[in-house]
Amino acid sequence: MTLLPWRRKLHEDAPAASSFEDLALPLLPALYNLAFWLARNAHDAEDLVQETFLKALRGFSGFEEGTNFKAWIFRILRNTYLTSRSGLAAMRTVALEDELREQGESGQVLYPEGAIERQTPELNLIRLGDRAALQGAMEKLPPPLLEVVLLCDVEEMKYKEIATILEIPIGTVMSRIARARAFLRSELQANSMLSRDFRA
Amino acid sequence: MTDHLSPTTLNALVDGELSAGQLAAVKEHLDGCSACTSSALAHSLLKNATAKSGQRYHAPPELTERMKRLVSGQQAVDHRHPVASGVGRRAALSGWATAAVILVLVGGWLFLGRHALRSNTASTENAALMTEVCDLHIATLAASMPPQVVSSDRHTVKPWFQGKLPFSFNLPENLPEDTKLEGANLTYVHDRPVAQLLYSVGRHRVSVFVQEKTGESGTNDFLTHQAGFQIAGFSTRELEVVAVSDVDPARLSGLMDMIRRVQVS
Repeated sequence: MTLLPWRRKLHEDAPAASSFEDLALPLLPALYNLAFWLARNAHDAEDLVQETFLKALRGFSGFEEGTNFKAWIFRILRNTYLTSRSGLAAMRTVALEDELREQGESGQVLYPEGAIERQTPELNLIRLGDRAALQGAMEKLPPPLLEVVLLCDVEEMKYKEIATILEIPIGTVMSRIARARAFLRSELQANSMLSRDFRA
Repeated sequence: MTDHLSPTTLNALVDGELSAGQLAAVKEHLDGCSACTSSALAHSLLKNATAKSGQRYHAPPELTERMKRLVSGQQAVDHRHPVASGVGRRAALSGWATAAVILVLVGGWLFLGRHALRSNTASTENAALMTEVCDLHIATLAASMPPQVVSSDRHTVKPWFQGKLPFSFNLPENLPEDTKLEGANLTYVHDRPVAQLLYSVGRHRVSVFVQEKTGESGTNDFLTHQAGFQIAGFSTRELEVVAVSDVDPARLSGLMDMIRRVQVS
């Protein structure tokens, strides 16, 4: 095929097969959603996304084509959040894995996995249709548990991808998911009992 | 596998993380264990609900525009051409002329294609609405919980929504044979508060979702089916009403006709 001179010129100067624009812009809604959940306000979420884009643009030449761009840019967003003022504060108040054992004041474990999951499942389904109640419960999740749930359930990422983004072992991803869901069930159940008492 | 499935296994099951061998063992266990089957359903519904609730924040159009400019600006810098000279300049000029012609053609095509795009968007939104109301109906049945307001009296059910919804609606006094109002829930569809009216038609349960009409959104009269459920809908000037049930379509339509007649047109 013979190209016109101007088209040949453009063709020669064209970026690599997948441009940053093609890869990053479709992910903007998902990045913003995660940023807002983490930062908890629109202004910080916008800043977080913008900084993520800038960092990703600068580092795009080092991105290996054919590898997981989504995991790569989510990792940048997450690291950017961690180094932000709100991220530092959030992670300081709820420290990482060892302190996430949900110890009550008495030293008792608040969410013994088997116990909660084995309660009557019907009760645990209460008000799943009530999006406000579930969103309220998600807002109460400690950031390390919230981010794992968002990546797993909302972004439908595999455990391996989540482990890459959060820089933690897959086993830790699995235990955080289990704890996060137990927490959500517990919150929904408490919420449902409250509203039942209120109605009575 | 004799013990009950662990929460980690149930999570891995609903997250699609089990290997083929593990999946076969889990399926075998589920076949003989109703408690674990019930737990698996609970896990699946929670995951589904979390996925929907988690998609909460939408990037403002200004941010999207800003990021587009940022990205295209950066790429323009990255691929900036040296100053054209001689043949190169002529080639560039003829290129711009051709580009202008293409721009006009593409503009016309985009204009003509906009209607198609709009209808595609509308059908996507409708499909999402169908899925959402089906999920809510299933979750209500699975929860085995009484409705938030339990009454067959429309004068009890309708006032219960006062102060809970930013709109009002009417409930029919007369219902088709063997049809009964069981109660109602306040729920949410696409982050908007919605009345979920619960009827029984014989032994079938029906969820009727009533929501405020917004902008151009609108469900014209329709009767369709999804995942084995019949879904019927109509809209008035101010309301959108969608019903979901496994009852036969004629009986569902009969109930919807009764509800439609009492709305303020």
